[in-house]
Order: sequence, then C-alpha cells, then structure tokens
Amino acid sequence: MPEVERPDFARGDRVRIIDLAKPGHVRTPMYVRGKLGVIDRYCGRFENPEERAYGHIGGTRIPLYRVRVMQRDLWPDYQGSNGDSLVLEIYQHWLKPA
Amino acid sequence: MPERLITDIGGLPAGEVPREEVPQLFWEKHMIAMFNVLWGKGIFNLDEFRRTVESTPPDEYGRSTFYGRRLDGMTDLLVEKGIIDRKELTERTERILREGTRDHA
Repeated sequence: MPEVERPDFARGDRVRIIDLAKPGHVRTPMYVRGKLGVIDRYCGRFENPEERAYGHIGGTRIPLYRVRVMQRDLWPDYQGSNGDSLVLEIYQHWLKPA
Repeated sequence: MPERLITDIGGLPAGEVPREEVPQLFWEKHMIAMFNVLWGKGIFNLDEFRRTVESTPPDEYGRSTFYGRRLDGMTDLLVEKGIIDRKELTERTERILREGTRDHA
C-alpha cells in the first residue's frame, strides 16, 4: 500500500477486528479478534511489526489506529459499568468496516 | 486456527496474581542495561526481540522468570545474527558461575 494513500478509517468509524490467523509475531491479541470496535484515533503510519520481527526494516509504513472496544463485548461475565471500554492499538490490515 | 502466542494470555484463567515486591538481582540490572544498549544501537529491533521471547518452548516459559526469558530471547537473537557464539557463551557462563557472582555464591 503506497504511503501517500489516505488511511481507510477515521475517528468514529465502526470496525471489526479480524482474525488473520497469521503465524509468527503479531500484535493483535486473541481476545479482541472478531470483536466490534470504534476508531478512537488515527496514530500515524508505522512499519509492520510482523515484518520487523524477522529483521525486515525500512518496509512500507502502514496505518495504525487506537480502537475502542466495550468491555461488555469482550467478556460475557463482565461485572463493571456498561460504559467501560478498552482502547488498544491495531494495524489497519487487522480491521474491516462494520 | 493459529496457535496462540505464549505471551498472549489475555482472558485466560490465571488464578491469584502474586502482589509482593521481588528484589531485583544484580544480573537482572545488567540484562536490562545490555538490552538498552543493543536496542538503542540498532543491533536488534523490539519486534524481533519479542519474536524470540515468544519462541520460548511452553514448559520452559512456565519455569522462567521475567528477566530469564528476556535474557534467553536476547541471547538467541544475538546467536541468530552471528554476533555471539553459543558454545563460547556456554563456556564463559559456566566459568563465571564456577567463580561465583554477586547473585550466585
């Protein structure tokens, strides 16, 4: 993906965190895969850690976002407030529009 | 389904989390200092360091400590990159342990 392209998502967009089922070093934890979230902010572009983990540096920089997921959507037995959420950083290729 | 990374434990049953403070050993401070130098100078990057720590076999990971698995991951990476020699490292480690350290009398 050329770096001049605009990021696919903007603050407030609804997204689903997908499960790429990719082996090796990945930064998307299992417990958020398949969950719905909302883009909290666009963080900028960064080299893909999945490539950097194998010594490939200087590769294409890809969009990274902070994604907000509601705690009640993550944990079926969540006891806290309905408004509690978790914000975590997810690279664009792990997201699709929802 | 991909295998879950050994570090990816969010949401798994964990039991009671020990809350007591554990004193830091001298070698652990050295380990962090060495890590900062090697990372800071670009000898390795954080993602490949994480990859080697995540490659720790599960039974070994269960027995290891915070600093121990990071030391092993860092060592594996330096061997992989041809910066240190595994045999030489083992011999020198054994000699140091025989002679005693601040942490190993």
